[in-house]
Amino acid sequence: MRVLALTLAGPTIWAAIFSAVYALHGVGCAMGWTEIDLVIGSLHRMAMASAWLVGILASVALLVHLPSGPALPHWLPRAGAWVGIGATLFTLFPILVTSSCGS
Amino acid sequence: MTDIPVASTGEAAREETLQIAPNPPRRALSLHRELHSVWSNDPGWRGQITAVNHTTLGLRFMCTALFFFAVGGILSMLIRAQLATPEGAFLDTELYNQIFTMHGSIMMFLFAIPMLEGLAIYMLPKLLGTRDMAFPRLTALGYWCYLFGGLILLFALLGGVAPRDGWFMYTPLSGATYSPGINADVWLLGVTFVEISALAAAVEITVTILRQRAPGMKLTEMPLFAWYILGTSAMMLVGFPPLILGSVLLEIERAFDWPFFDVARGGDPLLWQHLFWLFGHPEVYIIFLPAAGAISTIIPVMCRTTILGYGAIVAAVVALVFLSFGLWVHHMFTVGIPHMALAFFSAASVLVAVPTAVQVFAWIGTMWKGRPEMHLPMLHIMGFFLTFVMGGLTGVMLAIVPFNWQAHDTAFVTAHLHYVLIGGFVFPMMAAAAYWMPQITGRARISGLGEAAFWTILIGFHGTFFLMHLTGLMGMPRRIDVYPDNPEWIWLNLTSSVFGFVMTIGFALFALDLFLQARLGPKTERNPWRAPGLDWAMPLPAPSYNFASLPGPRQLAGGAAAMLSMARGEGLLPGASRGRRELLVTETGSARPEHVAILPGNSDLPLRLSASIGLFVLLMLAGLYWLTLPALALVAVLIWRWGRGMAWGADQPAVQVAPGLTLPTQVHRRDTLGRTGVICLLVANGTLFASLLFGVGFLSVVAPGWPAPAPTGPEGLGAGLIAGAVAGLIGGSIAVRLAERRQVNGQDVAGPVWKGLIGNGAALLCLAALALLVLDDPTRHARDALRGVMAGYVGLHALIVTVMTAFALDQNRRAEITAHRAGSLPAWRLWQDFSVVIALILGAVAIMQGAGG
Repeated sequence: MRVLALTLAGPTIWAAIFSAVYALHGVGCAMGWTEIDLVIGSLHRMAMASAWLVGILASVALLVHLPSGPALPHWLPRAGAWVGIGATLFTLFPILVTSSCGS
Repeated sequence: MTDIPVASTGEAAREETLQIAPNPPRRALSLHRELHSVWSNDPGWRGQITAVNHTTLGLRFMCTALFFFAVGGILSMLIRAQLATPEGAFLDTELYNQIFTMHGSIMMFLFAIPMLEGLAIYMLPKLLGTRDMAFPRLTALGYWCYLFGGLILLFALLGGVAPRDGWFMYTPLSGATYSPGINADVWLLGVTFVEISALAAAVEITVTILRQRAPGMKLTEMPLFAWYILGTSAMMLVGFPPLILGSVLLEIERAFDWPFFDVARGGDPLLWQHLFWLFGHPEVYIIFLPAAGAISTIIPVMCRTTILGYGAIVAAVVALVFLSFGLWVHHMFTVGIPHMALAFFSAASVLVAVPTAVQVFAWIGTMWKGRPEMHLPMLHIMGFFLTFVMGGLTGVMLAIVPFNWQAHDTAFVTAHLHYVLIGGFVFPMMAAAAYWMPQITGRARISGLGEAAFWTILIGFHGTFFLMHLTGLMGMPRRIDVYPDNPEWIWLNLTSSVFGFVMTIGFALFALDLFLQARLGPKTERNPWRAPGLDWAMPLPAPSYNFASLPGPRQLAGGAAAMLSMARGEGLLPGASRGRRELLVTETGSARPEHVAILPGNSDLPLRLSASIGLFVLLMLAGLYWLTLPALALVAVLIWRWGRGMAWGADQPAVQVAPGLTLPTQVHRRDTLGRTGVICLLVANGTLFASLLFGVGFLSVVAPGWPAPAPTGPEGLGAGLIAGAVAGLIGGSIAVRLAERRQVNGQDVAGPVWKGLIGNGAALLCLAALALLVLDDPTRHARDALRGVMAGYVGLHALIVTVMTAFALDQNRRAEITAHRAGSLPAWRLWQDFSVVIALILGAVAIMQGAGG
């Protein structure tokens, strides 16, 4: 059961951060966070980027703490962690490059 | 319980092998007679309604699904006949709308999902080395709910009142204003009825895989098919609740005018789209994963090798399970969502191609390293590769927002989804049928007919749907019945229709092939494919009990060759000398044997329970809402009787499963299959709860028509009643803990259980007072409707835990809760704690909204 839980940990972090960022996106657009400037970006973008950063750090921390080795009980959790890191980086990179509330 | 020796076979890998001595050999025939008398269905017609055996029910699921596939196929031919000419007079618009809606709904809900459920229910115990699913009566309940729900939809079609708003039932078209009559209600209630079957299957599949694998079959060593089905069942637990919630909300809106999707009163039609596609996109992978499991099983056998990249495939399955829940908005790219959100979901939609490709490359690599033999199953797998890869590529095209905007709602999308679903499910299922039919029937097929069917289907399919890409790119929208002003679409549509009929002829040949094999095929040899799996380590066709003795580590090492050893009773738990259905329960990860589960025998209770649920559905359809209350009471009585069937009035002696290995029965364990099943059910329930919170957040933040009008209830009373309800439920939670402590110490539990009953009853009263005295008219605004739903959701849980408390009291009165038997206390505790959590969160939401007045 531990192997299964550790394997699911990486993708779970992605799911949590993806949901959190999408929620922040909706709330920020509705509450006008794009109009609040925080020097390096709007409150809206900074809030989402912060959540994204937390997700990346959590995923990397998970990977660092997982035991390594060729046996499947060790390999699978690390593969799960890599899935989490890859998905977190790739699916949320639009935070940096697209307009936030325009449609 | 006896300790099981463990041998270390390599420190680096920390591998551990269970050492279990073999049972002495016995006469196979006497073992067979003993087991058959216990595990077989009742004789005669009664056996048709009381069967709970997984082999019987798995086959029933698959045969019924094939029937609905035929119905859906006939409907598709009617669609193609209508579209063959630009001004077809074959169907009028009303009937055409009903037919295309029913085609999609039947293929999704009455063919694909039940077919995969049937395959899983039939195959899993055989592949995992056990005798049945975890909850045989639940299997039967699922089947009857599926059958009755399907018949409701089918009779509605015959009666001309079938749903007509598309298989995704978009609001406001499916609302009461634009869809008067019962057509949409048939879909909402009928499909939800069928979904009971899906959830039941998901719960028992999950529990069976996690807790019933053969001793020594570690999670990381189980057949890939089981990994795929585990991913599927987990997705079903999480994927179906959003649709169930959406269906309930829409039905409430239609029946009682609560405005969840009505823009004028604070609702939003997009909420329906979100809830539907939160289910709808994972649904594609729910359908694909079992098919991929079959492919991963068949390819190595057909190529006389082992699968390449077992670990990579498992990781890919995990990735697919998660990523598929991050794509749903790509079905909504044209509704006006901000660019950044589009980009999130576009990226996720592209990314999901990676784990899919990992699997495809692993299968190609397996073929490369082996010696492929082009038997019929392999032909269908070649058809899968060709078709599914093309469908996957058009899926990546549709994941790109600008292309999606161009192709949205055109025949291009129709072509894409058929390439994915027929390529990713139907071809693999035909491969699975060709592969496992000897196992199911004990007969070999009649040569030649299957190959003819394959080529006819392949040519017919691509002739139909490849052209549809072009029709879509030329601008033809989906779901239209005539196109008099577009002569450029005529030849494409006519050609698609002709090939559509070719495909249908192919499917008819396929059905004929199955029928002839089942009826007239020569007797097959024992393991015709020389496959290594346990599914072939039994007589053919499979006996009701699967294995005369269950496989242990020795038998697992031998694979299918261990059949004789198991048939002679040298495995674990041989025979059925105690005259009851027994199987082994193992630890989730290591598969160490933990205890012996005693399963219920044949029963007509599942049929009666599903019939009573069906009665509720029919009364709702008829608009006789007050009469639904007695129907629900009947459901509750039958569930109570169901629970009574799980109770044990006396201690059960431990069971010797092998020399030196004696295990307790589940009667004396807390970590039973039932408890794991409750946890699975609560995971699904938690997803429904999360979907409800999403709905509250979505409408509050995004929907027009907010802020809502001020609450008019008595000031302060609402908050007080909410606090009272939460306090009552917390009291119940404390009571169940006290009861458990007293039970372990061998003391009477009546005192704390009574206190729990009072606490839960008080919570119910507070919620009733809240609804009657404080909450505003739910038809006034979506916020008020949401409050009504939140109160109802907590109230339903308060009612459930109240009934569970009463059940525990009854068990205590019957002396079924003793120092060695916890009875229903563990299940009650799980439900009670869940109820506390949802009451706390929803109470806080309601107070923040101003429910206190």
